[in-house]
Amino acid sequence: MKRDPQELYALWLEFGTRLVFAFALVCLALYLSGVLPPFVPLAELPRLWTLSAAEMMRAAHAPGGWSWLHYLRYGDYLNVLAIALFALLTLLCTARLVPAFLRRGERGHALLAALQVLVLIAAALNLFH
Amino acid sequence: MIRVILLAAGLAFAPAALADAGAAAQAWWIWPLALFALSFALGIIAVIAGVGGGVLFVPIVASFFPFHLDYVRGAGLVLALTGTLAASPTLLRSGLASLRLVLPLALAGSICSLAGAVLGFALPVNVVQTALGVLILAVALLLWAVERPDVLDEHAHAHFDWRSRRGVLGIASFGGIGFIGGLFGLGAGWANVPVLNLLLGVPLKLAVGTSGLAISLINSSAAWVYIGRGALLPAVAIPSILGVMLGSRIGARLLHGMPSVMVRRIVITVLALAGARALLRGMGVWP
Repeated sequence: MKRDPQELYALWLEFGTRLVFAFALVCLALYLSGVLPPFVPLAELPRLWTLSAAEMMRAAHAPGGWSWLHYLRYGDYLNVLAIALFALLTLLCTARLVPAFLRRGERGHALLAALQVLVLIAAALNLFH
Repeated sequence: MIRVILLAAGLAFAPAALADAGAAAQAWWIWPLALFALSFALGIIAVIAGVGGGVLFVPIVASFFPFHLDYVRGAGLVLALTGTLAASPTLLRSGLASLRLVLPLALAGSICSLAGAVLGFALPVNVVQTALGVLILAVALLLWAVERPDVLDEHAHAHFDWRSRRGVLGIASFGGIGFIGGLFGLGAGWANVPVLNLLLGVPLKLAVGTSGLAISLINSSAAWVYIGRGALLPAVAIPSILGVMLGSRIGARLLHGMPSVMVRRIVITVLALAGARALLRGMGVWP
């Protein structure tokens, strides 16, 4: 029996959210315990967090765009990955909706879901930088 | 429980008092700890008062903590995103949120939210801070207005057709709300619910749940802008997310035993004070 797209979305989102929450907690433990060293020294934070994001990136030589993916050995960027996964969840779940709506003949809703996926992909690719 | 909230709030503002002496500036961990305490208190209060945590978080942290507005907006946006992501599956299953209703609204909101987030990084910080102050004062006024129970329609049951004139107006409204959410890092449930209920005729409970689902989609798009610009500082974002989530769980358990009208009035007062502070800070009157 075909699931209703709303039920399918809830199922995927629930599974994904639990998984990412667990991952985020592990990342936080690795960061705070010092198992993974931070890219930006913690003692430097009180000076850096008063700067704008652009100024801070210049001052700390921090990577922009998707370049931070090369720095996942550092505790702070592993936590950025956890946050990015939260944003990625809706993209994956909405993409799953497109075939689910099409199977039920709801072309209008399938089109809206596909457009939403395109917007989220464009945002993730930093096309609006 | 009120003592716990007061203690958490007291812990949150202790570093601000120490900062004058320069003591807190030396120990980095004091501020994330204070942020966790504040977010925890806000999580409890927000649930009881029936507002999103982000609308309280952004103006208060922007006004009283040393972080640049970029990181506060980033944390506020992610805080609203994670909270609504966690709640959405239950809302969808119980029929308290409608996926089909949200799709056209969230699409408009997502596109405009991206534009708002990009503009937020292009504008001078004092302009964003001033606009935030004006917005928060307006939100306080709106919350005060809808405090009257007859304003929102609990029994609305109009069939929603997004191709109708009201549907187009609703989509345009969500575009505007998404823009504001992306610009200031807010969830904007305070605006979504009145639009869904009063403009589109969505029953109140469905409007509240659908608003949460919309926020999770809309904030996902703007979150990428904040990630790409380096405005998501884990030391600011993570304690905020954990504090609000923990506080919200406790707030939900206390929902029936707390004087919600009194808490809501306190929230409106705090919002008005934080809004005035953000406005004066942005104008350089009270830096």
